[in-house]
Amino acid sequence: MSTPTAENSYTPTVRNAVIVGGNRIPFARSGGAYSHSSNQDMLTAALDGLVARFGLQEAVIGEVAAGAVLKHSRDFNLTREAVLGSALSSQTPAYDLQQACATGMEAVIGLSNKIKLGQIESAIAGGVDSASDAPIAVSEGLRSVLLDLNRAKTVMDKVKIAARIRPKDLSPDAPSTGEPRTGLSMGEHQALTTAQWKISREDQDKLALASHKNLAAAYDRHFFDDLLTPYRGLSRDSNLRADSSMEKLAKLKPAFGRNLGEGATMTAGNSTPLTDGASTVLLASEAWAQAHDLPMLANVVDGEAGAVDFVHGKDGLLMAPAFAVPRLLARNQLTLADIDYFEIHEAFAGTVLSTLAAWEDEEFGKERLGLSGAYGTVDRAKLNVNGSSLAAGHPFAATGGRLVATLAKMLHERGHVDGRPARGIISVCAAGGQGVVALLEAR
Amino acid sequence: MDQYLNEMPLLSKLYLNAASSAAKQRLLRATPVVALPSRAVEVRGVKADLKKLTEFAHLMGMPARDVLPSGYIHALTFPAAMSVMVQDDFPLPLLGMIHLSNQVDHFAPVHFEQSLTVRAWARNLTGHRSGTQVQIVVEVLSDSGLELLWRGVSTYLAKGIYLPGLDKPNHQFASGERPMFSAPKPTAQWHLGVDTGRAYAAVSGDFNPIHLSVISAKALGLRRSIAHGMYAASRVLADIATQRPDTFNWEIFFESPMFLPATVSLHIADVVADDGGWAKSEFTAWNAHTARPYFHGFVGAGLSTRARETVAFE
Repeated sequence: MSTPTAENSYTPTVRNAVIVGGNRIPFARSGGAYSHSSNQDMLTAALDGLVARFGLQEAVIGEVAAGAVLKHSRDFNLTREAVLGSALSSQTPAYDLQQACATGMEAVIGLSNKIKLGQIESAIAGGVDSASDAPIAVSEGLRSVLLDLNRAKTVMDKVKIAARIRPKDLSPDAPSTGEPRTGLSMGEHQALTTAQWKISREDQDKLALASHKNLAAAYDRHFFDDLLTPYRGLSRDSNLRADSSMEKLAKLKPAFGRNLGEGATMTAGNSTPLTDGASTVLLASEAWAQAHDLPMLANVVDGEAGAVDFVHGKDGLLMAPAFAVPRLLARNQLTLADIDYFEIHEAFAGTVLSTLAAWEDEEFGKERLGLSGAYGTVDRAKLNVNGSSLAAGHPFAATGGRLVATLAKMLHERGHVDGRPARGIISVCAAGGQGVVALLEAR
Repeated sequence: MDQYLNEMPLLSKLYLNAASSAAKQRLLRATPVVALPSRAVEVRGVKADLKKLTEFAHLMGMPARDVLPSGYIHALTFPAAMSVMVQDDFPLPLLGMIHLSNQVDHFAPVHFEQSLTVRAWARNLTGHRSGTQVQIVVEVLSDSGLELLWRGVSTYLAKGIYLPGLDKPNHQFASGERPMFSAPKPTAQWHLGVDTGRAYAAVSGDFNPIHLSVISAKALGLRRSIAHGMYAASRVLADIATQRPDTFNWEIFFESPMFLPATVSLHIADVVADDGGWAKSEFTAWNAHTARPYFHGFVGAGLSTRARETVAFE
């Protein structure tokens, strides 16, 4: 009998998980540059670029986790297949996960925790989504007939079962952004929240404009050069409108909440469009990063998931981060004033502004957060300073990876603030009334 | 003098050309030509079709990348190779030619946005135990024509055509003396449906009737339609995609036609280099039911010996 010797013995102490860097492909509006690209194609392209950037050819990575919100059933092992098709060692394990738009965030937090516990030395977190190459299923009626046909033993049985097919069964089922329990689309849900917090059209348009201007400026100063690999002829996010203006945005007609009258403020300009794209983030222990002579941009300090009861309208569908961020910061003895950068995912301009409004609201602070008053104010100069989803677009599961890599680089560039490492918060809302937030710290 | 073309000719026209010249030859019974035309066909400004490229990759079950897969380059340049074979003084009939082998060198990755110069010519007209064989060389160069990116050498056999003065190479096995094939343990299995030829024709543009349907194949003397040799090569290359560096070479030898539908058993074995890295992968494929070999070959790191010699010579 022989016992395998472990390369490193297991010590249940918590250590740092660092962000080495990231790579994504430019995001494309659906039906655009990636309209014929599959999730597999895009995730592999993002992974290829990460492998090339950090010299990971033939490397055995501790674990790779990624996912897609809109996924074909044949892609059950999407991430492992992408690893097998990449230049990483085939001995790299991988798993798929899915937490709606927070998929990428959950991948980063879950893998960081494994690194912190010493279970793995390195990891790649990622996400991909294609609204263009979305899975379309056969109708429930046809599906039930086909499954029964498969089980039928005699020709007579088969004929009887086949006779059940009705013309309506032949129309396919396409995925929708509607919430299963309310039947409302995400935009309609947010329109209610936006109206509840009395967010003006002008403020939403301002946030959208800032997103485009900031993202364009970041491209112009080559900020994304080491965060992005061109794919299919695209080298910038195709939704980016550097020449957008308040006048242009003001011309757009409301797209959501049109029955709200004066409260109908959400347009195609201040909402994210359906997008295709993929992102990856390389995580490691300090020892692994040092041994491979790789940079260490930031630590993944902590993460928190939250959910709200949106079904009967107690809270807005996308308001979970308004609760999760205060919990996360409290656990780390921090307040909003201690944060140097805020990356609040712009599902809609209204989502970001409703969250900020809630934190500034005394009643919300007292009644919902159990504080003595309002939670606090986010300094707008620290918010989404290199643009966010309104400009870049939002391929659901890929957004987390984009945010983590972007913030890690920003924190590393900033270095220290008042003698302590710069800190940043990422907040991502998700379908089902959920949200995942994380705290990063510069290295 | 070389023949310069401003764009890739349409394969459909080339096939029609081939059919009419075959008929002409039969009618005129011209004395056979025994030398190859000593000129190359050159096409400039060749570019990949992004949609076809994506479809090609998906058919092979590989992620669609910005770098062109080997099989796609072969398909992209195939009309140039065909143009060589339909020249009036080309000594062998194009239709009915059998694909014996392919040898390919990737000198550098080819990006889909690159504009390319493609050169094709024929060489090595030699005897074969069952006819006459010829090699078609295709080179893919950078737009300037200065940098060699890819070179493919395809060997074809014109069965039953014996040209005067060409010796049969003596290293061939006399008929009936093939070495016994004993199938190794399969590492993979392909289930090729009857539509395999049509699906590959759609992404490659190679609508040779022997691949399309039973009827069109029978018209050319085959009992059923057969899979494209390059379909097999492309798919096996997709299966060995993981470890390949930017510079690599591969070779495939076709032993028997894959009549459709087919169940193909495959054995792929990796060979490790001295330094522990990947040296090459060898593959063998055979009919899962009859154990008759279909093809074999390898994919290796770096350039082939022949290509290394050429580069040194240049």
